[in-house]
Amino acid sequence: MNIIVCIKQVPNVKEVKWDPDTGNLIRTGLPSIINVNDKNALEAALVLKEKHGGKVTVISMGPPQVEESLREALGMGVDEAVQLSDKAFAGADCWATSHTLALAVKKLSGADLVLLGVEAMDGNTAQVGPELAEALGLPILSYALSIDVDGKAVKVTQKLGDVVRVLEADLPAVITVEKEANEPRVAPMDCVLEACEKDVPVWKAETIGADEENCGLKGSPTRLRKIFSPKVTRGQVELFSGSLDEVAEKFVAKLKELYYL
Amino acid sequence: MDFKLSAANKMIQKTAKEFCEREIPKIDAAMAEAHDYPSDLMQTFAKARMLGMTIPKEYGGLGSSNLNCVLMCEEFGKTGSTSFLPLIMNISVAETIHHYGNEEQKKKFLPPLCDGTAWATTAFTEPATGSDPTMLQTTAEPDGDFFVLNGAKRFISMANKPGYGIFYCKDLSCTDPRKNCTAFIVDKTSPGMTFSGHYEFMGLDNADTCDVFLKDVRVPKENILGVQGKGFNILLRWIAGERIQQAASMVGGGQACLDESMKYAKERQVGGQPMAYMQGFYWMFAEMKMKIEACRMLVYKTVALQDEGERFEVDSAGLKVFVTPMMQDVARMALQTHGSYGYSKEYKVEKLFRMAMHAGVVASSTEINKTIVGMALLMS
Ligand SMILES: Cc1cc2nc3c(=O)[nH]c(=O)nc-3n(C[C@H](O)[C@H](O)[C@H](O)COP(=O)(O)OP(=O)(O)OC[C@H]3O[C@@H](n4cnc5c(N)ncnc54)[C@H](O)[C@@H]3O)c2cc1C
Repeated sequence: MNIIVCIKQVPNVKEVKWDPDTGNLIRTGLPSIINVNDKNALEAALVLKEKHGGKVTVISMGPPQVEESLREALGMGVDEAVQLSDKAFAGADCWATSHTLALAVKKLSGADLVLLGVEAMDGNTAQVGPELAEALGLPILSYALSIDVDGKAVKVTQKLGDVVRVLEADLPAVITVEKEANEPRVAPMDCVLEACEKDVPVWKAETIGADEENCGLKGSPTRLRKIFSPKVTRGQVELFSGSLDEVAEKFVAKLKELYYL
Repeated sequence: MDFKLSAANKMIQKTAKEFCEREIPKIDAAMAEAHDYPSDLMQTFAKARMLGMTIPKEYGGLGSSNLNCVLMCEEFGKTGSTSFLPLIMNISVAETIHHYGNEEQKKKFLPPLCDGTAWATTAFTEPATGSDPTMLQTTAEPDGDFFVLNGAKRFISMANKPGYGIFYCKDLSCTDPRKNCTAFIVDKTSPGMTFSGHYEFMGLDNADTCDVFLKDVRVPKENILGVQGKGFNILLRWIAGERIQQAASMVGGGQACLDESMKYAKERQVGGQPMAYMQGFYWMFAEMKMKIEACRMLVYKTVALQDEGERFEVDSAGLKVFVTPMMQDVARMALQTHGSYGYSKEYKVEKLFRMAMHAGVVASSTEINKTIVGMALLMS
């Protein structure tokens, strides 16, 4: 079975610091990690490979330093890695990202399964997976807790809030993997050492035949106006006492006083 | 001179860190319950492919550098956990067999040490001596194709775990009393071997260290490691490597002490502000940082000698002389920063402090190492 996993390198938000004067995120010196959900996608892919055989390829779009994350994925046991780095890809929104990833998947001659994490820690849109499926014309099975492949079909348990349901689709398909799906393995040291020696090709816009108008900031229909931290206003707590009727009366009076009723 | 770690070194470091964060709490909890190492500990290390780091692939190892091994030790040191002792022992004993052993011995003993089916042991110390080889009283007497071992070994780590140990004995077939220490590779499940209960130590919680009693233990002649009568040289080289790994774990422990202290001092309020901003404390942090940094550099320099195939015995003795008191001082400062909380078992620095104290006496004492460095200076 041929599996492609798309991973994103994100700042380690556990170590994020804010500039107390400007309120901005201090990005310099912030260590980068593989997006947490994406590690679950990698683990799911490796487990499927162990069961059904085949090959796992990992791709990541980003600046040159994503190579580090790709090598980390190779260390976990992934067979091959492809890096998508080009100035033309910079500043991509979900649509432009999924468009670029779709071209890379096609360049790799497709796969039986394309796996992604549900969402990235730094954007939290959960859109790239479904949009990639759309761009590839494949079914999307999102929020997967478990994945079972049987012949030419795949069955997924999907977690939607409190609801868990079972989805089935024919292969090939795109799946986004939940954090609770598994515990990603710690890379074995021999694979880590081998990962350092492996070749990681860098693909540019022209390698995948991408039109620059559809990539990066240029190709992004979404425009970000402003990022701000919402102001936290501390509420006051008032406790009412008395019998149940009295408390209800006092509560209604209070709501009227505050013009909520 | 390049002070930078390579991308591969950094990946080993990162992976070891991840392993420690994920696995060590589970291992420590299992150890606290069993008052011993978990029986599947070696399999955990084997699965992570941490064993046999420096052993060539043909014998089941990774064929990697001592530096990578040391980086791993540094990460383990940060945890304050005892569980990495068997890991270091397996790696260093395998390295010793690889260095001194003949082809048959390498083929026989290295794979089980690398795949975790065997626990390694080194047995030198005896009730009467820990530092002086001329005082060894455990004897090895030839008997046909065998040697018969009799005596007692003290403070032997992982002695009663299945696997192989290098036992240093007084060889009765050697006539020169200064050259009668022979190293034997002994199967620890051999008939005639019995063990005491575990020692309880100030630190190294739940370590499995005990006495070993040898009564007519028969060891085949082909298990002599290296040259007969020259076992002490083997011990000195083994212990020199062990000291580098120990120093690396001490540096890791020191780093954890600083990290814990900074975290605590930034939260703890004194006089309306975090105590970290009192000069007495941030000066202490500066001192801790520079001690750790200097020790780390010395560890990397010494292990570079080992990786380049140079002699490193005296340098590694010097490393112990320098690093042990430095990191013990850092642990003391960490405890002090935490006030009474640092003295309580609720806080990690208490464990790190107790751990730091072991380095002065385990794997040769600091004083013996001063003697090695001092004598080398006089002879040069
Ligand atoms: C937790 C733990 C685990 C251990 N694991 C092992 C193990 O796996 N295998 C093993 O063989 N041993 C092991 N040991 C034993 C340890 O290595 C010895 O205790 C150590 O080498 C010191 O020996 P000793 O205690 O007999 O001290 P001694 O040799 O009696 O020395 C006592 C004191 O005299 C000083 N001294 C002695 N000779 C000299 C000299 N020539 N010059 C200057 N000062 C000197 C020493 O520094 C020391 O301070 C372990 C010990 C502990 C605590």
